Amino acid sequence: MNETHDTNETATADDGGGLDPRAAAALIEQTKRQAQRQFDLRPPLLTLLRAAVILAAYGTVWLSVRGQHPYQGPTGAALAVVYGAVIVVIIVSVAVVRRATSGVGGQSQRQRGAYGAAFGTAWIAVSVFQGALYHVDPSHAIVYGVFPAAAPLLVLGAAAAGMAAAREDWRTLGGAIAVIALGTGSAFAGPAGVWGVIAVGGCVIAIGYAAYQLRQRRA
Amino acid sequence: MHDDEPTPADALDPLIHVPARLRLMVTLAALPQGDTLSFTRLQDMLGLTPGNLITHLRKLEDAGYVQTEKTGSGVNGLTTVALTRDGRGALDRYTAVLRQLLDTAGPAQPP
Repeated sequence: MNETHDTNETATADDGGGLDPRAAAALIEQTKRQAQRQFDLRPPLLTLLRAAVILAAYGTVWLSVRGQHPYQGPTGAALAVVYGAVIVVIIVSVAVVRRATSGVGGQSQRQRGAYGAAFGTAWIAVSVFQGALYHVDPSHAIVYGVFPAAAPLLVLGAAAAGMAAAREDWRTLGGAIAVIALGTGSAFAGPAGVWGVIAVGGCVIAIGYAAYQLRQRRA
Repeated sequence: MHDDEPTPADALDPLIHVPARLRLMVTLAALPQGDTLSFTRLQDMLGLTPGNLITHLRKLEDAGYVQTEKTGSGVNGLTTVALTRDGRGALDRYTAVLRQLLDTAGPAQPP
């Protein structure tokens, strides 16, 4: 321990006399809220940002492909918007996680590493699988339409659902299952429609989750 | 009521029933069981001086409510603090007694 304390401070260390039960209860509530807010890895504002990014990224791709006959895939400009949006989300997410986990060690730190490895592997697997699909049958409708739009939702949703189930976090599990259902259902909208369905559906799920987070904070 | 007569508030754990230590315990309890918090982050969150925080931590550590661990030395030294199972249990008991006291006292009277 850092042994740089001065003796004058220790004299004030027990100044707690007169703390009445009501004040103690208020202090507990206030401290708990502050601590939870500071340790929060997924603040509602970040979820709302993700909702906006889902709408902007998937919506932009949908706008670029909706009139294509036959389906060719997203334009370079639309992809630039997607990559830009993803980079913004990654930068903001990393900053939030760094701030929340600064000085925090132990079991959660090890779990975060394992979660990161699981999500990273799932994400890479989707991209590699897309390459394999192109090798087997270079149909633009599948390789640049339905698969890249819906597959990440299925794979990452399943990974998130498994993690939420392990933590017994039922609300997040519900959200993850909704993401899987969206990925599955959206595929029926076709190579162009799938982007539009996910833009709206993903945004709605993220806003719903942000509302739940806000309610949790106020509870 | 005489000064030496026990009050309902005396049922509260005197070790926790101090604003700084109560905040310290509640802050550590906000982390999942098994997690640790660095001394500097804890100090930053509570707004206490290092000396004051050390004093409170020693008292809680003597009671087995928190555990501190130091790794490395000098500028690379890191002190981490964690709430023990006993500490979490003591805080749970404290809040339960507090709830009972507040229920008995009834709603707050307007000034």
